[in-house]
Amino acid sequence: MIEIHNLTKTFEKIKAVDEVGVTIKDNTVFGLIGTNGAGKSTVLRMIAGVLKPDSGTVTIDGMPVYDNVEAKKQLFFIADEPYFFANSNAKSMERYYSGVYENFDREEFYRYLESFNLDKSRKINTFSKGMKKQLALLLGICAHTKYILCDETFDGLDPVMRQGIKSIFAKEMEERGLTPVIASHNLRELEDICDHVGLLHKGGVLLSKDLEDMKCNIQKIQCVFTSVEEELKAVNGMEVLKKEQRGSLRTFTVRCTREEVAARFATVDTVFYEVLPLSLEEIFISETEVVGYDIKKLILG
Amino acid sequence: MTSRNSFWASCKENHRRRIWVWIVACLMQAVSYVGVLTVYLSRIRMWNAEGSYKKPENFQAALYLATQDALGFQDNLGIVIVVLAAMIGMQGFSYLYDRKKVDMYHSVPVDKNRRFLTLYANGIMIYLAATLLNLFISVIMAMVQHAVNGGVMAVVGLGFVWNFLVFLVMYHTVILAVMLTGSRLITLCAVGVFSLYELVLYSMGSSMQYAFFTTKDNFYVSHEPKLSVLSDYLSHTWEIKGMEEAKEMAVNVVPFYGKWILMAVVILALAWVSYRKRPSEAAGKALAFPILEPYVKVLVVIPVAVCLGMWVYSVGYGSKSLAFVAMTASGVIACAVMEVIYDFDIKSMFKHLLSSGIAVAGIVIVFFIFKEDVFGYDKYIPAEEKLESVALVLDSYPDFWDEDFTYLSTAKASEERMYLKNTAPVLALAQRAQQVEIEDMTDPRYVHVLYRLKSGRRVGRGFHVDFADPDNETLLDQIVATKEYKEGTFQIMTDEKSFEQVQAVTYSNGAAQTVLPIEDALALRGAYLKDMEGFHFKMARKNRPCGEISFRFPHWMTYTLQIYEGFENTIAYLQSKEAYYPLQLDPEDIASITVTNYHYELQRAAEVDDSEVAYDARSNAVVAKGYIEDYVVSETFYEEEQFAQIVPEIYPNMLSTPWCDYAEIDSNYDVFITFKKDTTYPYDRSSYGFSYQFFAERVPKFVDEATAMGADEE
Repeated sequence: MIEIHNLTKTFEKIKAVDEVGVTIKDNTVFGLIGTNGAGKSTVLRMIAGVLKPDSGTVTIDGMPVYDNVEAKKQLFFIADEPYFFANSNAKSMERYYSGVYENFDREEFYRYLESFNLDKSRKINTFSKGMKKQLALLLGICAHTKYILCDETFDGLDPVMRQGIKSIFAKEMEERGLTPVIASHNLRELEDICDHVGLLHKGGVLLSKDLEDMKCNIQKIQCVFTSVEEELKAVNGMEVLKKEQRGSLRTFTVRCTREEVAARFATVDTVFYEVLPLSLEEIFISETEVVGYDIKKLILG
Repeated sequence: MTSRNSFWASCKENHRRRIWVWIVACLMQAVSYVGVLTVYLSRIRMWNAEGSYKKPENFQAALYLATQDALGFQDNLGIVIVVLAAMIGMQGFSYLYDRKKVDMYHSVPVDKNRRFLTLYANGIMIYLAATLLNLFISVIMAMVQHAVNGGVMAVVGLGFVWNFLVFLVMYHTVILAVMLTGSRLITLCAVGVFSLYELVLYSMGSSMQYAFFTTKDNFYVSHEPKLSVLSDYLSHTWEIKGMEEAKEMAVNVVPFYGKWILMAVVILALAWVSYRKRPSEAAGKALAFPILEPYVKVLVVIPVAVCLGMWVYSVGYGSKSLAFVAMTASGVIACAVMEVIYDFDIKSMFKHLLSSGIAVAGIVIVFFIFKEDVFGYDKYIPAEEKLESVALVLDSYPDFWDEDFTYLSTAKASEERMYLKNTAPVLALAQRAQQVEIEDMTDPRYVHVLYRLKSGRRVGRGFHVDFADPDNETLLDQIVATKEYKEGTFQIMTDEKSFEQVQAVTYSNGAAQTVLPIEDALALRGAYLKDMEGFHFKMARKNRPCGEISFRFPHWMTYTLQIYEGFENTIAYLQSKEAYYPLQLDPEDIASITVTNYHYELQRAAEVDDSEVAYDARSNAVVAKGYIEDYVVSETFYEEEQFAQIVPEIYPNMLSTPWCDYAEIDSNYDVFITFKKDTTYPYDRSSYGFSYQFFAERVPKFVDEATAMGADEE
């Protein structure tokens, strides 16, 4: 488990991270989302032990990470622009990382390289940006660390590759309890990967929740009531986060479970009603609007 | 087999990424050793083929010396060592300049200390391997050419350690600079600052002292940088290279070895601490520790601005106000430049005005400290009771030599040999010098003084003394008449051993030259010592020497001593050997006398006068301005009668006249005497003629008239 408490980091009078506190549970995919400059990279670099926090703590399985080799053995950090040695190829990078990470699985690495059609002898500086990210991810996965920290790593990956990486993540999570931490400014990219999402804004955490919890607790209901009284009866006592009206068709976003919706609507006379699936984007819009932020401006642009 | 995680595995892995450094280091050392040796040895062989070496052993000695020079203490190696240290040090730790690299290196589970050790040790390994490989090849080459023996190998070994330690200090300095900075350019600047800061401070202090203090004198006491390995290297490599034996070299290099090892350890410790403290986010910034920025600015700007101001002073006709303006302006500009460097942004030039203000204030303070002589440098005269002894050199510089008959510096020798216990006359001279401006002195002469204080401190000063002042004459008499002064100034007084090895003794009166048997050297010395007992300042001041004796020692080292009329023992000895000839020439021996009148007074008048003509009072003529040649008038005299009038009034240029009054001689005239070929007068036959000058106010009238302006046209 990665525990972050009151993490603060300032660069030349600019507070990049301001008292961030997040807990990243093992064997989950943690998405760290935020706009450019929100502090995602700084938080990840502090989790990776690259930066020393001005205040606060980062512990990995209870060990402080900064300047601690034992803690760092548990993680692999893929920066937004991963660095590869000059004139190196996949083989030479493997040689370096297999010397650094005790559990680096060389056979698995070369197997993955083949399946991703990456030439082990080709110079990395001739790789495309996406290929470099794939290579960095494969190196990270094969390092067999417990945590893999990915800073904007999925940006620029084509859907097929994303799916491939996703599958590998799923497999590794199942087999050895890998915990990927993925930072991105694009909410849609994390939607199908993350179990838990932390939203950073201006250096602080706006929100940190399990996606399943969020999905279970927010429902989108489309319905046509027979009368206004029936409508009032249906929503009375429910926490309505959003209401839209198009003719007689009503769309409510409410905070409650699917069972509660079913129970409530069973007693109300409706022409029809339907509980619709919510996208991560819609959940975020609803959640952040509640606390006074316009998520569209923050993340979706 | 090494473990994948072992230190050596890390080193090996790191070397893979430093291949170009290996190649460049090997090539540089190949040029420095193999290349230089090849050139040196082929040059010796070429000279041998041309017949430059008369004996085979000379040729062999030259070969050994060439190998020794190429592979031992080669003074050109300094720049190679500095470049190698900078290249290896900066490349090794260059990941610290790049955020991408820092992200990778600092996130992987590698112990920070081990990473430092790996990169550090690999740098040393690169230097050692490149150097030893090329030294090995060079030694084999030299062996094949029979240019190596045990002594040469010992020198090569000493030189290797010498160069390695310089590399080590510079390498550590570069690493420290890398740790304190965030970009290559700034690292190079920092290396420059670390290496040259002390030199610049000394240069600043020295130039300010010379500009503002009249008693500043580096003759006896000169301050050398203590912590600059480059200064040590540049000052002493050549000196050690000149030593003949490896043993002598070893004795001289060992103190430097100790000092440099200590410096290397201290700098490495500082680099290590900086490495441990350096934040990862320093990559790409000017300074790794922003807290240092104002301090660095102030510390760099002040000496740079003061040095620039003093440069303006030196090219600006010594104007102190111009220097002050230049210093403050340079300070303001330097502060702005530093801020631009810190932020890599031209718009930042006026940031942090407080530290800029402090820097400029520092410059102003430094200027006024020197200008107003706040610490009383010029007024310093030690109290007599605090003085142990004094050494001094009065105007002229006596010769000193060592047991190998190599000339020694006057300052060093007189410091080692002169211990004046009666210090009161010296202090009185120093006090009187403070009371009179040099412009008000009739015959100002420079005196170098070394005060040895009882506390062990040594203070060197220099000042002008008016030799024409009767009170000064009395004080100088008290100094010169002492045994300590004489023994500390004239080596003949104490060194009998050297005179046993005299190879030639000659006497000269400026024209006549006689040779005495070398067996007479010791007896002549004895006569001279007796005369020196009565030697005092006024004797030398009031009487021009009537001749001089020269002793030639091994290695063509010559020692010349003045003989005065009062040196009865010496003159009597020379007379007994029929070697003495009086100063005044016999007209009968002279063939011709040519007098040249330069009319300097007219030249000077023409320089200051804007009119087109100058007036010659002596010839009562008005002359046109023109070139120097236009003022020179020569006349040759052939009559014995004329010779008889001229010879009592002239003095030979060939004789040295220490302490004598320059005004006694009329510098307007040159008198050139040629002797008759058939005369028995023992003039130096290899010379066509002999140069003399008239005593002041003693130019015969007929000579004056014959050389007046326009006289040659009549």
